[in-house]
Amino acid sequence: MNLSGLHLTSIGGGNVLLEPTTSLDIADFPPVLEAVLERLQKNKTACLYYDLAETPIIDPVYYTWLDALARACRTMNIRMVCIHMQPTAAYSLAHQLTEMPAFDTALDVQTDRA
Amino acid sequence: MNLDKQSAHLALIEQLKLQVGNISSAIESQGQSVFGSANIMSPDEITDFSIEFLELMVMLLSTENPLDNQQPEFEALQTFFGNMAKQILVRGGKMEDFVRYIQFLQRCFIESLGQDEDINTNDMRTILMLLSSVFNELTLAVFGTYLHEKESTIDAQQRELRETSTPITEIWDGVLTLPIIGTLDSSRTLLVMEALLNRIASERAAAVVMDVTGVHTVDSQVSHHMIQMVRAIQLMGATAILTGIRPEIARAMTSLNIDLGTVTTRATLSDGLKEAFRILGIEVSKK
Repeated sequence: MNLSGLHLTSIGGGNVLLEPTTSLDIADFPPVLEAVLERLQKNKTACLYYDLAETPIIDPVYYTWLDALARACRTMNIRMVCIHMQPTAAYSLAHQLTEMPAFDTALDVQTDRA
Repeated sequence: MNLDKQSAHLALIEQLKLQVGNISSAIESQGQSVFGSANIMSPDEITDFSIEFLELMVMLLSTENPLDNQQPEFEALQTFFGNMAKQILVRGGKMEDFVRYIQFLQRCFIESLGQDEDINTNDMRTILMLLSSVFNELTLAVFGTYLHEKESTIDAQQRELRETSTPITEIWDGVLTLPIIGTLDSSRTLLVMEALLNRIASERAAAVVMDVTGVHTVDSQVSHHMIQMVRAIQLMGATAILTGIRPEIARAMTSLNIDLGTVTTRATLSDGLKEAFRILGIEVSKK
């Protein structure tokens, strides 16, 4: 499943992997968010894995997008897990946050499933 | 004859030129005994030093106002002595010896004036004041270099200490331990976090046991840094386990309204490791 700026791949067991690309436009994310949620609902997704391997820095704008997606997923009873967070991204995000984010984190899909 | 300042300087230069051989050999001889015997400088270096010093001194005295420490000639002399001091320090020499040597250089000039019977008391006073001012500035330049070098050494030692005082060890497959000793300031937190997060990524660590037994005091800044570290570990997808919190630290954190509700804590490093093993489903048993 391809949406503008991201790839959604069903990886079995009700899990979906979301891989953002460099063309993902999060400046105006509500349309993207709706499209993603629609796909997730159609797929009867239980868990969304958001791959941050290609995201070296998470700035406040990017975090707002992640937070909105995680909260929206939660309202649809979908668990969102960010995987492959880069040290630089974790470092910058740890400095921004005042509380733990709405999404879970894991090293990768296998670790989270174990 | 009563000389003005400028003519006093000229008299000094004249005297310096007349006595250059004696002064040079005295400087060299003293240099050999102070630095040569301790292998701080080679004989050739001492000779070069003597020649260059006398040249720079003549250049300075030839200027309109040798006491103007902003002029290039004065700065050249200061730089020369600063570099010399750096060289001596690097080679393990004592700064006291170099300062005494500078005093000896000044004495050489004063003694050389005794050879000139035409210089009266007033001229002598002007020349002595000039020499005293110049050599005081040189001593200050050497002292400045000494302080700068010491500060650089202390900075380098502190940097090394910071880097080595927080060893990150993979104690089991996927389990990292991080003993924190001393105070967590911003710069140290930055170093530790950078190293720790990179290790989590490279070792694919699932649990990090942070032992704070060696942390004796905690203020809002330190606790804030600890929480940031825990948060960063969790964001990487690993579990952070905080161990060894002393009663006084626990009390201080409570009074600072710091909530460790989202952090797994255990009393000792051993308990922390057991928790890490439990999370990873590892069982350690006696044979």
